[in-house]
Amino acid sequence: MSKTVINYLECQVVEEDIHLTLFELCQASQASEEIIISLVLEGVLEPIGQQAHDWQFTGPSLRRAKLAQQLTEELQINTPGVALALDLLERIDTLQAQLTRLSRQ
Amino acid sequence: MKFKDYYETLGLKRDATQEQIKSAYRKLARKFHPDVSKEADAETRFKEMGEAYKVLKDPETRASYDQLGANWQNGQDFQPPPNADAGFEFGGRGGHAGFGESSDFGDYFERMFGQQTGFGQGRRRQAHAQGEDHHAKVRIDLEDAYRGAERNVSLRMPVVDDHGHVITKDRTLSVNIPKGIRAGQTLRLSGQGGPGVGEGKAGDLYLEIVFRPHPRYRIDGRDVYVDLPLAPWEAALGASLTVPIPEGSVELAIPPNSVVGRKLRLKGKGIPGKETGDLYVVLNVVLPPADTEQAKEAYRKLQEAIPFNPRAVL
Repeated sequence: MSKTVINYLECQVVEEDIHLTLFELCQASQASEEIIISLVLEGVLEPIGQQAHDWQFTGPSLRRAKLAQQLTEELQINTPGVALALDLLERIDTLQAQLTRLSRQ
Repeated sequence: MKFKDYYETLGLKRDATQEQIKSAYRKLARKFHPDVSKEADAETRFKEMGEAYKVLKDPETRASYDQLGANWQNGQDFQPPPNADAGFEFGGRGGHAGFGESSDFGDYFERMFGQQTGFGQGRRRQAHAQGEDHHAKVRIDLEDAYRGAERNVSLRMPVVDDHGHVITKDRTLSVNIPKGIRAGQTLRLSGQGGPGVGEGKAGDLYLEIVFRPHPRYRIDGRDVYVDLPLAPWEAALGASLTVPIPEGSVELAIPPNSVVGRKLRLKGKGIPGKETGDLYVVLNVVLPPADTEQAKEAYRKLQEAIPFNPRAVL
């Protein structure tokens, strides 16, 4: 085992500081262009820009694309199914957050 | 090395049909998918199932696995044939490729059979290609989000050495966590992902922010909630109290006739940022125990003085 320590790295907050291009989103989520385009058509991802080559994806897209890629590949869910699963998962997250907020320790 | 019983992992008998294998995997995959499942060991279970299924779903790899014999028990010590592992490439779950706390690449079974089922194929074989982006999670405290922090992140990744062997490499990155970060947000560290191939540049590292549960504060997006216990007379008559908050403490005026669950909003005292969150103090009333004669007498006097029926609405 070898160990390397790199000092003090600056980073960007994906959700606030940057927009991702189609290529960058594919690279980061490991999803194919085909999958990303079908997610856009399904309304799961909403990029800024008209044409695929000037699409700009905002931060939350990365999380959705990553999840969508995993659900597509690992559970072999089709795009409408992925869209539904993502909506339900986000609803569960919201409810979970509400539950945490209301619960007393 | 331990033997892995792929049939047992999927809850199957060795004579299961390909259809049975498929449906057993699908059923378990839905149950243990780490993004869907709330089971504590979902991620590990899911990986094991994926590995088992990759081998068993293909009749050819299944046959070569079956050749090892039916007498092995799950977890039994197992000696693989020599040099069986030469030249394999690691693969794994898409977004988590070879990364994070629970990765255990370099396993004989995954090498032996995973290789034949198309692990690690794709981009890396090209002459020049950008390195893979990597993903990991980093746990921080609420206080880190208020002040910003430097955190060491330990990462473990498999790399192939000059002799074609896979070794595990640990590296520690010191990351500047920006002030105002929220749970679920992602940090991008350019060029800290997988190395590029040929002249391709290195991939990026994405770190997802997770908050450690806090004993006092609850967090919802940018807003923070804290319970404030009050004595009955403080809630009834009002009070001026010093309340600890993540940034120190504040003087808080409790309005008279406060009820349990009343929320006092401290604007702008939530998680800072472009749109700063709020801090909510949630009032709770705690009754003093009637465990002395004096206390009982006080409750009796209260009963006489205040005609009060809490069940009037029933």
